[in-house]
Amino acid sequence: MAIALTPKDFATATPSWWCPGCGDYGVLSALKQALAELGRLPKDVAFVSGIGCSGKISGYLHSYAFHGVHGRALPVATAVKLANRELTVIAAGGDGDGYAIGAGHFVHTVRRNPDLTYIVMDNQTYGLTKGQASPTSATGYVASVSPNGNPDAPINGLAVALAAGASFLARGFSAQPKQMVALIKAAIAHRGFSIVEVMSPCVTYNKVNTYAWFKDHVEDVTQRPDYAPNDRLAAFEALTREGDIPLGIIYENDRPTLEDGMRLPQAPIARLDLRTDDPRFASMREAFR
Amino acid sequence: MILNSVEVMFGGQAGDGSLTTGDLIAGVFKRMGLEVYTYKDFPSRIRGGHTNYVIRAGVSRDYGMADAVDVLVAFDLEAVEAHIEEMRPGGFVVFDNSSEAIPEHVRRADVQWYEIPLARIAKDELGLELVRNTISLGVLAALLGMDPAIVRADVAAVYQRKGDKVVDLNLRAIEAGELYVRQHFGQQPSGYGLIASDDGDRLIMMGNDAIAYGALVAGCRFMAGYPITPATDILEWMSKELPKFGGAAVQAEDELAAITMTLGAAFAGARAMTATSGPGQSLMTEAIGLAGTLEIPVVVVECARAGPSTGMPTKTEQSNLNTLIYGGHGEIPRCVIAPGTVSESFEFAGVAFNLAEKYQMPVFLLTEQALCQSKATLAPPDLGTVTIDRGKRIDEGAVTFGEYQRYAFTENGVSPRVIPGLEGGMHLEAGSEHNEGGVITENARNRRRMMEKRMGKLEAMVPDLPRAILHGVADADIGIIGYGANRGPIAEAVDRLSAMGIPTRFLQLRTLWPFPEDEIRAFFRGASHVFVVENNYTGQLERLIRAVVGPLGGLRSLRKYDGRPFRPIEIIEPIAHLNDVDVEVEVG
Repeated sequence: MAIALTPKDFATATPSWWCPGCGDYGVLSALKQALAELGRLPKDVAFVSGIGCSGKISGYLHSYAFHGVHGRALPVATAVKLANRELTVIAAGGDGDGYAIGAGHFVHTVRRNPDLTYIVMDNQTYGLTKGQASPTSATGYVASVSPNGNPDAPINGLAVALAAGASFLARGFSAQPKQMVALIKAAIAHRGFSIVEVMSPCVTYNKVNTYAWFKDHVEDVTQRPDYAPNDRLAAFEALTREGDIPLGIIYENDRPTLEDGMRLPQAPIARLDLRTDDPRFASMREAFR
Repeated sequence: MILNSVEVMFGGQAGDGSLTTGDLIAGVFKRMGLEVYTYKDFPSRIRGGHTNYVIRAGVSRDYGMADAVDVLVAFDLEAVEAHIEEMRPGGFVVFDNSSEAIPEHVRRADVQWYEIPLARIAKDELGLELVRNTISLGVLAALLGMDPAIVRADVAAVYQRKGDKVVDLNLRAIEAGELYVRQHFGQQPSGYGLIASDDGDRLIMMGNDAIAYGALVAGCRFMAGYPITPATDILEWMSKELPKFGGAAVQAEDELAAITMTLGAAFAGARAMTATSGPGQSLMTEAIGLAGTLEIPVVVVECARAGPSTGMPTKTEQSNLNTLIYGGHGEIPRCVIAPGTVSESFEFAGVAFNLAEKYQMPVFLLTEQALCQSKATLAPPDLGTVTIDRGKRIDEGAVTFGEYQRYAFTENGVSPRVIPGLEGGMHLEAGSEHNEGGVITENARNRRRMMEKRMGKLEAMVPDLPRAILHGVADADIGIIGYGANRGPIAEAVDRLSAMGIPTRFLQLRTLWPFPEDEIRAFFRGASHVFVVENNYTGQLERLIRAVVGPLGGLRSLRKYDGRPFRPIEIIEPIAHLNDVDVEVEVG
């Protein structure tokens, strides 16, 4: 029997550490709504987060939550999925966590395509360390460690992912909750590694990329006539064209997952009955005669 | 005539097949009933560069290298030049003189020389230069008196998968080698002989094989690793075997991913491990701290090699002990156990998982290149003795949400651990300091209690730790302390010193953290000299003993840091000199 869930079923008693008005609130409430609508039970959700303001989100989602070391949410999440593929596995973190310290894992998780969802909360700054340039900050962005302007070019995380073989790319804006719920639901339903990048403004340190700025710069690609999210070149064009920031499901395909490639059995590894008397163990000795 | 005791060294260029031939001869020695230990000394490259492979055969099990090389099979002059000084007087050299000659200044008079154009025979008589290795095996078979039937059966078995033609070619190569010795050196006996006895119920495997096999039997069903010498064998073996048992092995993009994947799988409830060596260990340090504070059971196999940085990837060293015990920021409970033999390598893999799950902490299985990549004969592991203790793990039924606390304070510091999917057990595991329920807090009182809970497990686990083994004469005046691969050379040194009239005892440490303070203190009682034998420059174990156990009379240090394992004579000599006894390199 299906149990009707509400976002409240995913709430924890822990008070939030985020600043009032932080974009991450929108991500959290959209995530709760999406999980409730999908009917996933909190016990079956493993939620892995990185470090930073956004990484705190795992404390606020009633689930099996893991708040690990900076930049390593994806390898943890990948292994949780491999160890128990019955779980709905979601990883979340910020632009610094995913595109700076964790950039290596980001690219390799895309290559592997495990069946899990990754939410990148992009505020174009390092909030928790009080406002340095992040890998997505614009060139020239003035911050405490770049007083003369950020000398680096911003990384285009979704375009990098597309080049690396991504099977699902979406972008949302935390001030547009309805679309975010739909994107997160589609991402979780997607079979493979689904990335949802969310424009999640930092109201305290980023005075450039504000809610108002985003409202002027975002564009829903799905509103474009004949935009086909299975066209890789079109997706690359949309992601890299100067100007507006595309929102919506930008790219999707159904290539084999990591679990497919490994021929991983359905039975969760985590629940295997471990027996030392398997007769195969004794016959293995013969290879060492 | 020296019977049933020989150390053979194959020397040549990497990639020329000496490893295959060395393995072959090790197998023949084993089937003739001898105990075998092998040591690979190869360069860190795929082809070219001087390599050597040592096979020691004798009557004592679990010894390491001998005092000296008895037989040097040199495929080029470089091998002779590099190793002639390591030879025992009375030993012999088989030299391939197809294209090089031995210069007079290299030619030691106290060893015998068998100069044979191996490559030329291979090319002219068999049509393939590559089989000169197998010809050399035929030469050794004749010179050492190896059982011809066993030699032929082993050669056939090794080359079988390459087809009958290859088997036939190699059998003819054996015959060519034997024939050459008969025709040219019929009147020059080598002075060595082997008498075949029963192989019995024995195996021959590398330390890495034993660790992987032991881990699988003990329930390891997930492994993540990044290729690194000398640990890669474990990931290779597990990649082949784990899927057959419903498990999975992942080749990660780096060691940061390998260890965090291991944590992820263990958090999800699998018995999970990784294996690495020095450079990878350094990268894993932060996440091991996380495992400590999240109280996640993970097994980390450290196959130590010579550092720092890239160091000497294919050489042995014991310079990572400090890193394993102290590495990382903050303080966590952790455990380091170190097998001293291939047999213990199998056993300790299972011990490591039980300790990790029972006490919910990272457990290091510490081994070194001289053990993990060395083959040795052993009795088949007794599978009936392997037990699986998953500690306070709850994976069935449900717990009551609101009552269940992942980090509940308990008498021994170990809290019941639910696995994701269990009804009612939802909680946060945070690397930030947390309370019993897992909620992040920086409260001072909670911090004190959490530190005491976690660190207190080190005391709680002591009864379950592998005890040190006392070898030699129990009340001897002279003691030696060591661990890991040095178990072999030290045990041999102790046996020989005692036989020479210098009673000696050896405390083989098998747990290095929590530090076996009481065992060490007891060992010092009644000893006037205790030598700490280890492969590093700074005396890491010796300093640890001083730091933890306190001032101890008679503590001496014997260190070797050239990347090569101890030969027993290097341990015997300083102890014998202490007693004003002169020693000579011994046969055997």
